[in-house]
Amino acid sequence: MANSGFVVCKETAWCPGCGNFGIVRALAKALDGLGLQPNEVLYVSGIGQAGKLPHYISGNVLNTLHERTLPTATGAKLANGDLTVIAVGGDGDGYAEGGNHFLHAIRRNVNITYIVHDNQVFGLTKGQASPRSDRGMVTGTTPLGVYNEPFNPLATAITLNASFVARSYAGDQEHLARTIQAAIQHEGFALIDVLQPCVTFNKINTYQYFRERVYDLDQEEGYDRTDRQAAWARSWEWGDRIPIGIFYQIQRPTLDQHYADILIKPLVRQELDKSVVEEILDEFRIG
Amino acid sequence: MQNLNIKIGGQAGQGLVSIGTILLRAATQEGWYLFAHQDYESRIRGGHNFFQIRLADRPVASWENDIDVLVALDEATITRELEEVKPGGVVIYDPDVLGPDAQKLAEQSNSIGLPFARMAEELGQPKIMGNAVAAGAVWALLSEDLTELHETLALMFSDKGPAIVQGNQQVASAGFARVRELLGERPRPGKPANPGPRLVLRGNDALPLGALAAGVKFMSAYPMTPSTGVTEFISEHGRRAKLIMEQAEDEIAAINMAIGASYTGVRAMTATSGGGFALMTEALSLAGSAEIPIVVVNAMRPGPSTGLPTRTEQGDLRYAVAMSFGDFPRAVLAPGDVEEAFYLMAHAFNLAEEYQMPVVVLSDQHLADSYTTVPPFDLSRVEIKRGKVVSGEEAGPDYLRYRFTADGISPRLYPGFGQGLVVAAGDEHDEHGHLIEDAETRQKMMEKRMAKQKLVEENALEPVLCGAEDAELMLIGFGSTKGAIAEAVEMLNSRGIRAQGVHLPQVFPLPQGLEVLLQKPARKFIVEGNYTGQLEELIASRFAWKPDGSIRRYDGRPMNAKYIVDRLPGGVCHG
Repeated sequence: MANSGFVVCKETAWCPGCGNFGIVRALAKALDGLGLQPNEVLYVSGIGQAGKLPHYISGNVLNTLHERTLPTATGAKLANGDLTVIAVGGDGDGYAEGGNHFLHAIRRNVNITYIVHDNQVFGLTKGQASPRSDRGMVTGTTPLGVYNEPFNPLATAITLNASFVARSYAGDQEHLARTIQAAIQHEGFALIDVLQPCVTFNKINTYQYFRERVYDLDQEEGYDRTDRQAAWARSWEWGDRIPIGIFYQIQRPTLDQHYADILIKPLVRQELDKSVVEEILDEFRIG
Repeated sequence: MQNLNIKIGGQAGQGLVSIGTILLRAATQEGWYLFAHQDYESRIRGGHNFFQIRLADRPVASWENDIDVLVALDEATITRELEEVKPGGVVIYDPDVLGPDAQKLAEQSNSIGLPFARMAEELGQPKIMGNAVAAGAVWALLSEDLTELHETLALMFSDKGPAIVQGNQQVASAGFARVRELLGERPRPGKPANPGPRLVLRGNDALPLGALAAGVKFMSAYPMTPSTGVTEFISEHGRRAKLIMEQAEDEIAAINMAIGASYTGVRAMTATSGGGFALMTEALSLAGSAEIPIVVVNAMRPGPSTGLPTRTEQGDLRYAVAMSFGDFPRAVLAPGDVEEAFYLMAHAFNLAEEYQMPVVVLSDQHLADSYTTVPPFDLSRVEIKRGKVVSGEEAGPDYLRYRFTADGISPRLYPGFGQGLVVAAGDEHDEHGHLIEDAETRQKMMEKRMAKQKLVEENALEPVLCGAEDAELMLIGFGSTKGAIAEAVEMLNSRGIRAQGVHLPQVFPLPQGLEVLLQKPARKFIVEGNYTGQLEELIASRFAWKPDGSIRRYDGRPMNAKYIVDRLPGGVCHG
């Protein structure tokens, strides 16, 4: 794919009607809208249906291991801050085996955008329960229904004082594109949990299910997205009404800023200064 | 050769490392060569640890069993280590920490009781300066005057202010004077004539220094003994070299962060041990498939599981060579001493980048924590080879990250450096880097990657030899047994047995030169620090060969010449 605009690939390995199509289109739209070029963008993904997304849109790609998206994206961003780094994963990928990385990426506040395709199942392995599955959902690994409390990524992120916490919906590309743009423009770690219907394996959380329930927090008068308590309370709203939009956004020091004295320019553009090594070696010299 | 072995024993937290470090710096300043190793338990306070320094008038590469000077900071040093003291050796002990039985034992030898902490206090200084009393006491057996010791104390405590420096110097002088008074003049170990400038470093200093010299730009790690020294060294000194060192939430994150950084075009590394290395293996397979250079230091400790966390073994060799699931090219290096650690570490980055693959540098606790006197490292000997890298212009807009080439190496473009897009994947992929399922591409891609392994093998580092070329006996090892083997060879040669030492700085792929050595008529013994004979198995499977015998150690302790020679079959040494 050439470097002119963000082209979305027609051939994919996704099921017809998959929520992922909405996400990749919204992503292309957001990146085009920001005036970025594909060679300035790096997508980092793991394994799962979401992990394939980078292969279906123009840009640089680092398609890594299941659940290892965030540390890999962190390393890439620290080494070349000129790249707009978009980490892409699924809820199985990011909140199960990658849960520890998720917590620590939030703590680090590295300046990347993290898009989580939240379909509440493990899609690529054929529909087993994910940490996001609703209680009672019957899957191949939970024949008696899911019995664990669903993981709440937004509440977790807000609790850890993540600097940007949003939810969007794959069925609303306008909203999603707008949210992605805000996330990229945000200085720090930006989480977007995207409600993404899995048309094959999740017969509960469908397009219709979400269409009837989602409402936009961004449009709500008087909602203060810097109010952590309010954001936390909204993050638990999951029933007849499900909020989407930016729940929480604050400014706090980013990981890149911590290394500001080193990152006068991107690491990858810095030449080795052997005199510094000489200097360090000299300190160990005796006699 | 003139030798002097000093052993300082005590509980964790008592300051034996401080005393040891003061002495080894001052002794180096005075001109001696030394080798110092540490033995410590997995605890912060209590237990029984020791710090052992061997001084010599020429370079030394290993330790000796017999002790000339024993410094006892605790009772266990007397009850456990006293029998190692040579006849005529000196014991300096703190009577305040000994029970009556130990006191009686201590008094039987050529010994001096010095209440280190109490002496410091009587001189109006804090107890902790008892360490300097002890250092001063030992120094009286080494040197005529206090100049170098005082200078060392000034240097080591300079950041704590002049009062602390003077206090330490004062109490060290008192310890020195007391020993001089009680023992009078004694013969001192000979010194080299013109020692010249030197460094005195541990493996855990030399490895990160090698990485800095190689231009490493990114490190991420999770603390684990005995590799933590590498991480702390980079944390302390790396910032000046404009290097990012990020402590990760686990070893999995550590290596993946480094891989992410490496993908963008910087030299990246991580360091770990034991179970941490196990956690990294998934990502090593990613680096193999996605062809992303990465250097991992694995400072081995005895396993299985948590094993003996603070002790030494060479039991991860097979695991490092096998490394991860699936077939992919790799190299495993095994530096044998501090100097080799520096140059091999730098070489590891070249290998990783030239062949776009993971490289494991096997260290172990003995190499990691042992100090050796080495000549200053020569930066002009560190050549930086970044492999095939193309500029944005050369790459053009249609760049293919995994372009099929004759040698299997596809030129790297750093993402964002041109119009071309850099698509890397651990899933099987085509030349673009996009995912494939078809058999034909899979086979071609596998063959492309594995073609690199052949090149790595052709360029493998040759064995490092010592001793007699026309040997009747050959000792073969890798990693930190290098010094022990070299000194065993010397010992054998001095007894009239023509012996040769073969050290393998690269254990995978094995160098072809090894095969020539294996065909020599000498009786060959493999010397290694593990139970099952992992090096033996590796060599045997590569060259269809069997040794005449093996010497293995797996009690968590380092080998030395005596250990090896004592275990050769009787006929070899006495025949």
